[in-house]
Amino acid sequence: MDRRQFIREVFLWSAGATLAIPHFNILPEALAAEKQASLLSLAKGEDYAALVAQVLKPLGGMAQFVRPGDRVVVKPNIGWDRNPEQGATTNPLVVKAVVAQALEAGAKRVLVFDRTCNEQRRCYTNSGIEQAVMELNDPRALIEQVDQRKFVPVNISRGTALTKWEIYKDALDCDCYINVPVAKHHGLSGLTLGLKNSMGVMGGNRGNLHHELGQSLADLATVIRPKLTLIDATRILLRNGPQGGDVKDVKKLDTLIASADPVAADAYATTLFGIQPDAIASTVAAYKLGLGEMDLARIKVLEA
Amino acid sequence: MERKRSISPAAWRRASQALFFGLFLFLFLKTDYAGSDELTWAVNLLFRIDPFLAAAVMLATKTVIALMLPALITIVLTLIFGRFFCGWICPMGELIDVSRRPFGKPGVGSSPGQRHLKYYLLLFLLAAACFGLPLAGYLDPFSLLVRGFTFGVHPAFDHATTTFFTWTYQNAPDWINALTEPVYAILKRHLLPVADKVYALSVFSLLLLLTALGLSAIESRFFCRKVCPLGALLALCSRFSLFRLAGGSEGCGKCRACHTLCRMGAIDEERRIASAECILCLDCLSQCPRSRIHYDRKRLASGIQANLSRRAVITSLAVGALAPLALPSRLLARRADPQLIRPPGARAESEFLGLCVRCGECMKVCIGNALHASWLEAGLEGIFTPRLIGRIGYCEYNCTLCGQVCPSGAIKRLTKEEKHTTIIGRAHFDKNLCLPYASGTPCIVCEEHCPTPDKAIKFREVEVEDNKGKRVHVRQPYVVEHLCIGCGICENRCPISGGAAVIVTSEGESRHVVSY
Repeated sequence: MDRRQFIREVFLWSAGATLAIPHFNILPEALAAEKQASLLSLAKGEDYAALVAQVLKPLGGMAQFVRPGDRVVVKPNIGWDRNPEQGATTNPLVVKAVVAQALEAGAKRVLVFDRTCNEQRRCYTNSGIEQAVMELNDPRALIEQVDQRKFVPVNISRGTALTKWEIYKDALDCDCYINVPVAKHHGLSGLTLGLKNSMGVMGGNRGNLHHELGQSLADLATVIRPKLTLIDATRILLRNGPQGGDVKDVKKLDTLIASADPVAADAYATTLFGIQPDAIASTVAAYKLGLGEMDLARIKVLEA
Repeated sequence: MERKRSISPAAWRRASQALFFGLFLFLFLKTDYAGSDELTWAVNLLFRIDPFLAAAVMLATKTVIALMLPALITIVLTLIFGRFFCGWICPMGELIDVSRRPFGKPGVGSSPGQRHLKYYLLLFLLAAACFGLPLAGYLDPFSLLVRGFTFGVHPAFDHATTTFFTWTYQNAPDWINALTEPVYAILKRHLLPVADKVYALSVFSLLLLLTALGLSAIESRFFCRKVCPLGALLALCSRFSLFRLAGGSEGCGKCRACHTLCRMGAIDEERRIASAECILCLDCLSQCPRSRIHYDRKRLASGIQANLSRRAVITSLAVGALAPLALPSRLLARRADPQLIRPPGARAESEFLGLCVRCGECMKVCIGNALHASWLEAGLEGIFTPRLIGRIGYCEYNCTLCGQVCPSGAIKRLTKEEKHTTIIGRAHFDKNLCLPYASGTPCIVCEEHCPTPDKAIKFREVEVEDNKGKRVHVRQPYVVEHLCIGCGICENRCPISGGAAVIVTSEGESRHVVSY
């Protein structure tokens, strides 16, 4: 029984029994089996649509992650009411290209969403992401406002700081979860990258996570496991994150990072800011949970 | 009712009422963000054609408010056609007519001569507004209506609908959801607010609206006959209207059908039609067995009028003029309530109170659910005026909608750049509650959310002993006063339960520093 089948079965068996809480228990053997040399792909260029294809190529292309008929979730950062130039949200061109690639790989449905911090419609509009997804003009590509009814309580059995939380159903039961964070500064956690971006699938009062943010994000990563993390560093926000607002704080890098290993992706992205992976608590905590590699020496970087 | 082949005049009137009520609902729903910083519809239209509110705010501020000049159209049309507004356009009138079945009594009731109250109220409200006690919005029919809908009806509808569709979503089999989910999607897209909203004074506002409707249990259209100050103003104009209904005479014999059916009780036993009370519903014209009633240039006297006594008129005016004299004795006169945080662009307090028509539009449009009706925070005359309650909602940094919907300019229309520098208050920390101070626990959610590009909440990294006795490094937040604009997102997002550890007060608000 693989993990996805396990998750699906848990859903099936708990359907209708409203009191039953889905139980996510990732077996150590499954983890061991997944542990292999972490590959990470790095690409630079100014044509961001082409850059997405380019960065995925050394990893085997999108077809490596999305199988025909898959229900895919693409999770960008749409957290703030900011323009693309301000670097607080994922570059809409990158999101658009990722969705397009997933559709090309034969996805049955690609859902884009984020639980925003600022007013949801303003974030969707002004980040340019809603428009970008709609421009694809494909009925399989959906961008949706978060539906409060879809948050289901989940036990996080491997969690220490976070043991139970409401998580968005689509993020749990999709066939392929693609995390597309923007790399940027964050006051509390230092940086916000892939692991932090997954907070956008959480319901409830997320502010409480801040008391043990690094560990909580690692705990969350035991149940929200992206098949692919694609970090948008086309421009990075150096100061006054995570919202920014001043283009003087934004630095253009024209870089994308992609990896199947969420920890490796975060670890490598950290170096773009001139700091080491161990400065980010969530990277360290996730590494300790065995969720991926943070030792730069053991991450194989493929320059695309 | 007898069905004639051609469409009866009363049917045209019903169609007009339905049309304008539909327009009201449409504009009500459009009073919301729609993907653009600027609203496309003149959603506050209703309030700008209201001559009563226009008179009240212009008397209060002693200036001509250009935004409200369209109200003149209503006056001119009333001088020509009579009090058609109440019968054909007013959405409150439509609601009162529609609720006739549950609440109502048919026609008759008090004679057209016994309608003094609304005139005295009108005079009192206008005099009070002029001398510094602005209360007009309390009784204006549109204000009552929009407040009732915004604070009560719409959220209740949303809650009931969402509860139902949540239940079907979580419990019903797939084939039911195949039917219900598309319906919910349509409702969500067109009728329901994007996120659930709560409002201060919601139940109270709803009860006031229901009272206005329920008064029809005493007499049909009681509110329109005896309370409505807008109706009173239009009644005064329609005494001189060019066109009016006339007809019945001695020739009618014993027939008093018109007298019995008139919803306004505007037709007396002698079948004389009081033009001030007639709202041109045209029931009489449509149903007169001998078709004797017609709408025409005036030839006859205007029927029985409320005979306002000079003494009562003077008393109403005098009470209105003298009541404001008591206001400077209040504590408020010395120190404003620090919890009273006005929307960005609000004018200086006394001017703001004079201009605000209590329509609730700003609270309807507020996408952060930050603006709420005041109770007594701004004094007896400040009920229903907007104030920000940070713990409930916050002022969205790039949003300028409240200034766009304000029908009287009580909230100035701001550009985004002006909004970014308009200070509505300032945050401060309660270090006894704030976790990094009180227990050495990491937090700074406030700093994360602070929207100014150069953050108004910054932090110091310090080493403290946490409440388990361990030496830890934490980031302790503080407010940079000259950067804080008082949006309240910090107070809103402070993760501790109960009261927030960072609180916004009206301290430093820019409207009291510079004059607009």
